[in-house]
Order: sequence, then C-alpha cells, then structure tokens
Amino acid sequence: MLERISQMADPIGAIIGFVLTIMVLSHIIGDNILFRLAISMFIGVASGYAAVLILYNVLLYQVLVPIFQVFGSGKADSLLTYTTHVLPAVILGIWMLTKASPRLSRWGTPVLAFLTGVGAATVIAGAVRGTIFPQIGASINLLNLQTGPAEINKLAGWFINGLVILVGTVTTLIYFQFGIKRQEEGVPVQRSVILEYLSAVGQGFIVITLGVLFAGVYIATLTALIDRVRFLWDIVIFYF
Amino acid sequence: MTDIICPLCGKPNPPDLDECKYCQAPLKTAGFFALSDQEGEESSFLPPSGESGAVGDQSVQAESASPFEEGVPDWLKQTEADFLEGTEAKPEQGTPDELSMQIESLLNQPSVPEDTGKPVIDDDWLASLLAEAGGGSSAAVIPPEEPLEGLAEDDVAGKTQPFVEERTKVEGLLPPDQEEKPDWLTGLEAASTIKLAGGMSPSEPIDKSSSIGEPEVAKGPSQADLPEWVGQVESEENPPGTNESETPIAPAELPSWLEALRPEDTVSPTRPVEDLSAADVVTVGPLVGLRGVISAHPSAIRARKPPTYSIKLRVTDEQRARVEMMEALLADEQKPKPLPSQPIFNSRNIFRLVIAAVLIIPIAWMIVTGSQKTSTPQPGSIPGVVDFTQQVQALPAGTPVLLAFDYEAGFSGEMNLAISALINQLMIKNSYLTLVTTTPAGPALAESIIKTSTGLDGLPTAYSNYTNLGYIPGGTMGLLGLATSPKAVLPFSLDQVDVWAIPPLNTVSTINDFSAVVVMTNDPDIARSWIEQVGPVLRVDGTPLLMITSSQAEPLIRPYVEAIPSQVQGLVTGLAGGLAYGRSVGIMQQDGVWDAFSISMTTSALIIIVGSIIGVVRNMPTSDKKKEG
Repeated sequence: MLERISQMADPIGAIIGFVLTIMVLSHIIGDNILFRLAISMFIGVASGYAAVLILYNVLLYQVLVPIFQVFGSGKADSLLTYTTHVLPAVILGIWMLTKASPRLSRWGTPVLAFLTGVGAATVIAGAVRGTIFPQIGASINLLNLQTGPAEINKLAGWFINGLVILVGTVTTLIYFQFGIKRQEEGVPVQRSVILEYLSAVGQGFIVITLGVLFAGVYIATLTALIDRVRFLWDIVIFYF
Repeated sequence: MTDIICPLCGKPNPPDLDECKYCQAPLKTAGFFALSDQEGEESSFLPPSGESGAVGDQSVQAESASPFEEGVPDWLKQTEADFLEGTEAKPEQGTPDELSMQIESLLNQPSVPEDTGKPVIDDDWLASLLAEAGGGSSAAVIPPEEPLEGLAEDDVAGKTQPFVEERTKVEGLLPPDQEEKPDWLTGLEAASTIKLAGGMSPSEPIDKSSSIGEPEVAKGPSQADLPEWVGQVESEENPPGTNESETPIAPAELPSWLEALRPEDTVSPTRPVEDLSAADVVTVGPLVGLRGVISAHPSAIRARKPPTYSIKLRVTDEQRARVEMMEALLADEQKPKPLPSQPIFNSRNIFRLVIAAVLIIPIAWMIVTGSQKTSTPQPGSIPGVVDFTQQVQALPAGTPVLLAFDYEAGFSGEMNLAISALINQLMIKNSYLTLVTTTPAGPALAESIIKTSTGLDGLPTAYSNYTNLGYIPGGTMGLLGLATSPKAVLPFSLDQVDVWAIPPLNTVSTINDFSAVVVMTNDPDIARSWIEQVGPVLRVDGTPLLMITSSQAEPLIRPYVEAIPSQVQGLVTGLAGGLAYGRSVGIMQQDGVWDAFSISMTTSALIIIVGSIIGVVRNMPTSDKKKEG
C-alpha cells in the first residue's frame, strides 16, 4: 500500500519538496512568512503522520489484529500468547487513560509509577552493562601489548594513541573531581597544584571534544545543504 | 423669724406648732426659741451688745421655761435632763482658743465690737466691779472669754445655733477645779444658775445677788431688769444642792500610741466640688440618674465597628504627576511592542547573504557541472569502513538481517549513500531484510530507500524479500523487548502479515537469530540505546552490530567501535564514510557531491579563519583602551 502511495506521490511530492525547500532556504534573507509557513507545515504534517502511524502500526496491528486472529483461528496457543504478552499492556494502557481526567488522575499514578520505574531500571541496567563496564575494560586494554598491532611500524602510533586516550580519560575525570574535603571553616577550598594542572589538561580535552562535536554537526548540516542543492538541480533538470 | 427648738430632737420648728414636726414632742412646754438676727437685736430683755448674748439667752430661756414647768410630764423632764447632760461633754472637744480661732477664720472679722474695746479686765478690775455693783454686772468677767464675743457676733450674723451648744461653750471656759477658786467666787457660784464644774439645770433659779463670776457674766445685764420674784421662785423650787451633786466629766486621756497616731495636719474633709452640670446623666442601668459617672450599660462597652478613616493621601501635584508617569510606564510594559522593522538590506542581512553566497555558489557550481575532480576517500582511510564491509560480506546468503531505520529525513543526503550501498549488497546476497524503526518517520524512509535501491547495477526492479515491521513503541524498553522477544513486540508487519509464522522469520525467536543487526541513525542517544540494550544480547552469540551514522553522532559512537573488544563491529559515518563504503563495494555514485562537499569545507574553513582575524583586529583597539583605562 505504502509503495503504491509512494509511486503516486512521487511527481507531486517532488514539486512540493522543491517548493518547501525554496521556502526554507528563504531564511537566508531573514525571518519571513515563507519560512514560518514551511516550518508550520512541517510540524503539522509530522504530528499527523506520527498519530496515524501509532494508530495504524500500534493499536491496529499490535492490539486489534492479533485478537481477531486469535478468535478467528481458535488456537489456544495464540490465545495464551496474547493473554500474557498483549493483554497486560492493554490493561495498563487503558488504566493510563485516567490521567486525562483531573478527577481520576490519581488512579493513574500506579501505572505511571510502574512505567517510570521500569524505564529507569532499563536505562540504568543497560548503561551499566553496555557502556560503563565495557568502556572500563577498553580503557584498561589501551596499552595492552596483546591487543596491539603485530607490525612494528604501527606500534609507536598505537602506543601514542593509547597514551593520549588514557591521559584524556584520566585528566577529564580529574577535572570533574569536586569532592575535596574542607580543611578549615571559611578558608576557600583549593585543590593541590598537581591536580590543578591535570584538571587544566582535562579541560583542554573537553574543549577539543566539544569542538569535534560542533564540527560533526556542521558537516552534517553542510551535507544536508549539498543534498538540497542537488535535489533542486535534479528537479530543474527533470521538469525543465 | 423665731423657730422653736425641740427639746427632744433639737431640731427647729415653726413657732406656730405645738408639737415637734419631727418627733411630736410638745414644744410649748419645753421648747426653746431659736433667735434670728433681728430678733436677737429686737429682744427687749436681751442686752443690746452681743458680748453676753448667749448667756443672756440661756437665762431667758430658763426663765421662760419656769412657768410651764408644771405642765411638763415626768418622762419629758427626764428626757430633757438626759439630753442636756449628754451635751455637756462637747466642750471637752476643744479649747476656747481653738473655737475662737475657728470662728474668726470663718467670719474673717477680726473687728472688735464697740463694747469690747475696753481694756482687758483682770481680777482686780473684777473685784472692784463686784464691789461696786454687788455682782450685778457680769460683763467684767469676760476678759478671757473674748471668743464669746465672736460667738455673739456669730449669732448676730444670723447663724442660728442650738442653745445647748452655746451653753457648752461657756462651760468650756470654766476652770475644772473649784478648789482653786477664791471664796467669794465659790459663794457666788453657789447662788448662780450655772455650775462651773457641773451641769446646768434649766430649772436652776437665777440668783441676782450671787451672780458674780463667769456664769453671771452671761446673764449679768439682763438680770438687772428681771423682777425679784423670779429669782425667789426659782430658788425655792430648785435647791442649790441639786446641781452640785453632778460630777464633771473628766477629759479623756488618750494613750500615747493613740496620740502618736493622731494626724497633726488638719485635712479638709471635703474636696473641691467638681462641676458636673455639663456631664451626662446615666439613663439606664443601676446608676440611672447619676451624673458624671461611667454608665454600666452594656452599650457603653459594646464592640462596635471602628470608624472609617479616609485613606486618601494628600499628594502634591508633582507627586501626582510622578504617579501618573509610573502608571503609564507599567501599562506600557504589558502591551506587546512590535519588533522594530528592519530593512531587508541592512548590514546583518548583507553579511548573511554574503556567507550564503560564498557557500552555495561553489556547491551549486560543482553540482551543476557534476565535477569529480576530487578523489573519493579510500575505505582504509576511514576507520570502521573496512570492518563494516567485511562484516557485510561475511553474512550468509538468504539469512534474515535486521535493519533499523532510526534517522531523520533531513539526514538522508548524508546517509543515503551508505545505506543504498548496503541495501545493494544485501540484495545481492538475497538477505531477508527485516525493517524496524524507533522513530515515526522510519517506516516511510525504509520503504523509500528500498524502492530507490532497486534496479541498481543489474538488480531486479522489484525486491520483495523483505518485511517492514514498522514502529517499535516504548523507546528503550521496546528495544530491550525486541532483543529478547521480537515476535512479541512486533507481531505483524505493516502489510498485516504474520511474518513470524513464515520463513525465514519462523526460525527467529530472539534477536541473535538474525545474521546481523544494522542500525542507521543520526542521533547518538538512539545509537547508544541500541548498543546498551541490544548489544549485550548480540554479543552472546557473536552477532555483529553494524552502524551507519551521521557525522554529528560519530564522536560519541567511535569509542564503542574502537573499544577492545569492540561493541560495534562496523561503522560508516557521514558522506565520506558512505563514499568510502561505496567505493569498497564498487559503487561510485558521486555526481559532484564529493567535490561540492570538499569545496564547501574549504570555503567554510576560510570563512572561519577570515572571520577570526577580522574579529581580533576589531577588538584590538577596544582591548588597548581597556588596558589604558
């Protein structure tokens, strides 16, 4: 269905895309009604598309269609799967609708608490298993010769690379070290000179990281501009 | 006018009454006449001067009572005697000097009557006078009785005093001890009607011959006019020994402690009277009728509404003007002010147009001309591309591959090059493409990229060995569910097909059953979620996790790629990574894009350098001024 719609919408979509691209690029001369109209259309279309997608993809194909098939086929296994996998989510989802009413809002608190608790547990567990422990292990193995290159000429580069990463990691962690014990009341807290120097090095690594992030954003934006210019040229070539 | 003094109660009564109007005692028989001013002067048998008026009255009254004595009942006589006896103690209360001083202070008349202008009479003078007159005149014995003059003057002034009181004053002047008296005075006293040391009987006869002494002084002149029979009758009826038997009352001797307690200063018994004529009269409550007192009515203490005072401030014209100005300022703050209209061609817009032109013109020129002068990046020069290519080439043919389209449409120009090359390789391997997404725009993008990728380099125009499972709800929790049970999270495809019941997905129960998982995203957070939630599950069986990302997400994903052991087995980033990967697989789709990218990057670098130099130069004078300041 989407393929047929996509085929039918190609010519019209191309023209609409061309016009909208021009409207967005008009922001070069400043804020104007064409730019704001294009932004408003984008927000409205995106919201409508998301609503249709959820109704179509979630409620219909993940809630209603399975139950129709269960009752249509009459299989006990399908009914059991539906009852254990879908029905709790359906009940919790309906229960969550009580939040829409101010009078019944407090009845939806348990569902919200369940959702928040499960979400937090999932994120924390995933961060521990997928980021913290693996990255600690990777930092430990930075200068491990068993993981180094077999070629001698690459060994120096590998060592320097690992050393830079190690120094960057340590100094950045030192920069974010704020747990200094106060010696006397009223005396400003100050770290030792060594820690101050290491912290300054870590601050330099942080600045470089932020610069790299900005460069990545700029490259992505510039690539998008190139793509739009090419799109305009393709439309011009195609229709004119 | 003359009032009759009741002998019983001592109150004056009109002369026409026979009985006391207060106690109904008979007045005609025992009452005394109180003399008024005129009567005192007009009395025919009283001396014209006041020096002996009191005593004269006393004698007259005694004489006037005698004719009625027979008609007085016994009980009245006894009562009268008791009354008179009780009044004899009063002279003990004060000395004659004190009385005279008080009278003088009251009258404020230090004048001395004409008759009192005589020199002080002493005993010699009195003796000579008695010798000459034979005791007929009593005025000679007055010397120490000067207060009597005042008392007489008081009577003349109209102050009607009871007879008893005047008599006691006279008695107070008498010396208490009779033994010290000379003989002649004792003999004279025996014949007198006034006893010096005892009481006085009203019925005591007045003996004219023996009227030498102080009591005689009081009646001296008047007795000269009395007929002799009067004295005889009285002397017969009242023997002289009756009054002598009465003992005088000794003055009380106060104890020393009581004398110490006696106040020395004389305190006025009354205070100055306050003028209460203008005060309010109490109309209710127990104090009704009183004036000048606090009313006890509840209304006096009832809580009432406090008076309302005006809160209007007294401000000057200048202050009012300032207030109006402040109000106007506050009112203007709430009004939305339109932005100042700027001309289209101002310096800021011109600068912006210049920057846009510097960037767009070279890009457009490269696109229009289709320049391919710049060589595309080598796969080996881009970290992760080689690994990515090897992982894709290592995939077995016809196996299911999970493709996650989690990037926004705006990044399609950067990522579509690599994605198209990947889809081309997978189609060549006839892999079963399972399309999922965690962004709402993902399903449409996936369908579009599959369509645009077909027909390239000899591939079939339609590729049907794929399924679009659509949107994964739940975000991070949906990814975890997909990793453990993809069939439960996405049971049906967008075509309403139960793909998990047909080959090749019927053999898939967990995400490890896919030959590879490829995540295409521009968001580093989404990439990290896949790594954290799905990556650990994939590492159990060694299923590769490959990624195609945008340039903006590369710095945050690169550590996962270069980690040992690596958490992401292959990474293609941005336009350069896509070209490198395409070059590695033999697909060259530059079309001037890489040249445009290269020249735009060079131009951008030049703009940043020039802009920095201009900024430093413009700020140098300001810094110098600050340093000088």
